[in-house]
Amino acid sequence: MSRIGPTSPIVLLIGLIILVAMAMAGLAGTEFALSRYLANAIGQLAAFAVLAISLDLIWGYLGILSLGHGLFFALGGYLMAMYLLKHSFEITATVPDFLQFMGWKDFPFYWAGFEFFPYALAVAVVVTLLVSGIFGYVSFRSRVGGVYFAIITQALVYVAMLLMFRNDTGFGGNNGMTGFTVLFGWPMGTSGMITALAVASLLVLAWVLLGCRWLVGSRFGALMLATRDDETRLRTMGYETLRLKLIVWCLSALIAMLAGMLYVPQVGIINPRVLSPELSLEIAVWVAIGGRGHLVGAVIGALLVNAVKFWLSSAAPEIWPFILSGLIVLVVLVFPNGLMDIAKFKFVRPMGAKRLAADLGESRP
Amino acid sequence: MKLARSALLLAGLAGALLLAPPARAQAQALDRAGLVQELCGDAGAMGRAGATLAATAAAGSDEDRAWAAPLARAAIDRKLGCDETGAVLEEGGLDAVTRTPRAATGTPRAPLLSLRNRPVFELGDAAFALRGAPDPARRAAALKTLERRPALIPERLLDRAAEAETDAGLKEQIDTLAQTAALNAADPAARIRAIGRVAENPSRRALTRISALARDPAYEANPEFRAAVDAATARIERGIAIGDALATLYNGLSFASILFMAAIGLAIIFGLMGVINLAQGELIMIGAYVTWLVQQGLRAVAPGLLDWYLILAIPVAFLVTAAIGIALEASLLRHLYKRPLMSLLATWAVSLFLMNLVRVVFGTQNLQFETPFYVTGGVPVIGDFIFTWNRMFAIAFAALTLALTWALVRRTPFGLNIRAVTQNRDMAACIGIPTRRVDMMAFGLGSGLAGLAGLALSPIYSVNPQMGQNFIIDAFMVVVLGGVGTIAGTVVAALGIGQINVLIEPLWGAVAAKVIVLLMIIAFLQWRPEGLFAVKGRRK
Repeated sequence: MSRIGPTSPIVLLIGLIILVAMAMAGLAGTEFALSRYLANAIGQLAAFAVLAISLDLIWGYLGILSLGHGLFFALGGYLMAMYLLKHSFEITATVPDFLQFMGWKDFPFYWAGFEFFPYALAVAVVVTLLVSGIFGYVSFRSRVGGVYFAIITQALVYVAMLLMFRNDTGFGGNNGMTGFTVLFGWPMGTSGMITALAVASLLVLAWVLLGCRWLVGSRFGALMLATRDDETRLRTMGYETLRLKLIVWCLSALIAMLAGMLYVPQVGIINPRVLSPELSLEIAVWVAIGGRGHLVGAVIGALLVNAVKFWLSSAAPEIWPFILSGLIVLVVLVFPNGLMDIAKFKFVRPMGAKRLAADLGESRP
Repeated sequence: MKLARSALLLAGLAGALLLAPPARAQAQALDRAGLVQELCGDAGAMGRAGATLAATAAAGSDEDRAWAAPLARAAIDRKLGCDETGAVLEEGGLDAVTRTPRAATGTPRAPLLSLRNRPVFELGDAAFALRGAPDPARRAAALKTLERRPALIPERLLDRAAEAETDAGLKEQIDTLAQTAALNAADPAARIRAIGRVAENPSRRALTRISALARDPAYEANPEFRAAVDAATARIERGIAIGDALATLYNGLSFASILFMAAIGLAIIFGLMGVINLAQGELIMIGAYVTWLVQQGLRAVAPGLLDWYLILAIPVAFLVTAAIGIALEASLLRHLYKRPLMSLLATWAVSLFLMNLVRVVFGTQNLQFETPFYVTGGVPVIGDFIFTWNRMFAIAFAALTLALTWALVRRTPFGLNIRAVTQNRDMAACIGIPTRRVDMMAFGLGSGLAGLAGLALSPIYSVNPQMGQNFIIDAFMVVVLGGVGTIAGTVVAALGIGQINVLIEPLWGAVAAKVIVLLMIIAFLQWRPEGLFAVKGRRK
């Protein structure tokens, strides 16, 4: 793999992210501080960027398209929301809305222990690993791939959505969970907390970027690209691709879960709509627009699409779907590698660009 | 319990009321002046008058009935003016007895019905209406009133009404009510006969009626009566069980035919090109909208043909959606055959676009469809199973589509080309099959089939811009389970998923049914990753 020079886009991007984070932290409380809305938007965008990286890892570098990544995002989100609600309940004794709706006196038994963040985090990791591990194992073992895999993941997230829409599951039902008041003992909703969350999200984004860059640049990353480009040949040469795919798949799920945990305290609500197949498809669109197989591209795609969406959903919500579908068609037909096709002639020379400029080795199912 | 108690209460009431009237009903000539006098009397007298009116409606001569009919209505509406010489019907200003015009003397008093008498008069009024009203709707309404108090219905009223009834549906309802009334009759032999007749048509309502009799005093006292009730209960329960099983099968079959219609187009396209068309749901939706437009067009141009819009829309729905599909293929998917995952995103963009376009043009509300006579109602078979025509329409439509698609794919040169390209694209190209043209036509065929699915759905489901989303994932599951590009696989998978869904739904709910079906499919793919019926050919 190519060496990372000081001017390579990923270094520039990580530097920029850290710079923004430091500036936000430094300026907090002064008159130059960002407005609460803007700070919150930056934090949410960072969470989405982490989500996009998680999908790019599996789609861009392994050629496996998941249309169900919203499931892991929601897993992190829901478990974070459970921690927040239980924690708020411990400190301020506010009873969550959904318990009142259902007329329940107490939390269901499986909420026990969620007031401790380490426990909630551990549960999130274990559940995510279990779900992604079992699903990935059975799918990859029977060599379900390509379009088949995409469709089955979509069905998975759809079914999860139907399940969470039920009110008797103890996870808030169709209203979801909201009304978080305290995080780590600090009151939520203050500008200090908003800035802190945004800065934390940016730092996590920087770390995830760095970690993934290290991974795809390693020998393991070379195997990932080889699997993507010609799995049969790799298997013939004696490599076990099942384990490799499973590891990357679970890692990708964990990153998506992390994004969900960052996202929920910032929007202050989680409901089954994050499990809708549309959101999961949109993640793929961010990555496709930014450029598959480029970590920088995934981040820029997520930031760009969501920034436009944030802006349009207040300015002109009805034209957003048309713009989105137009963007997709444009990217799919004219710029197969997304923004990277436009950008690379100017300043980007991403690793493996020559190969990526050709089609991304997507084979038929 | 509640029902049984009120039935008992009514039976008691009926006893009290019916014991008096027969004696009066026997009196051949109606004492008209006496009746009017009672109508103007105290609550007790009015109660007797009400009973007389009901008895007249059942057994009186035609003239007496025609004379007495307005009295019940007038008493309910307080349009009866009592004065010293008798009473005046305020509507028309006629004397209540002689029906000659006269003005009321002094200040007429309109008697008020007591709470106990009011139902008696309403019953009487309904009884007159059932036998005399010219308008069937009025007779049906009267029957509804009578149904509320079967125990109070005078003897022979329903038999005579049924004899004179011209409307077949209404006649049947009257007969049913007559049975109910007979179940509450005083004579045990008549009751046992009635029990037998009720048990001939098992349904949940019949079961409620019969099992209520188990709390009847006669059940303890009369062993014959008890035996009849027990036998009837067993017979009805068996009938209901059979009916429920048939209903489950039937619903599963109709759901399966919808699934099949939604999935067959997908299966052909996927098998041929390896492209999953995420816009298939929207093509279904557009098929339904085209059907609606045809209906609106007929309403404007040829209202006489309005009932046939479902049939006339068939070619229109097919051609419009096929044209959209061909346009889609030629402009977009043609460039993406080497990149199936990108074609997934592209078709999703199309789906987003179409859904929002329809939303902007037509709005988000559900469309209103006429219900033609051939999809209205149904035939009750056994128990609570009704062979409904709208579901039958979907099933027959799916069967016809299956036959035509099968013939097209198996018996025409175009179908031969589709099969050749599906099995081995390169080899087919080598022997001169224009694969790109075949792709385009097949995409049009698959899209047109989606349009037909939308048409078949429109009498059963609500039609709105989001409707496609509800079917698309189920349809994918059918394709994945059935195997790529086989008609037989699609049929079997649709039948299987449809039946399993319908079987699980009543036990654990619709969501659980979906979850279980998905898990079963994932498990199944462990065993046969290529689906039920894999096309023989190279694994691509």
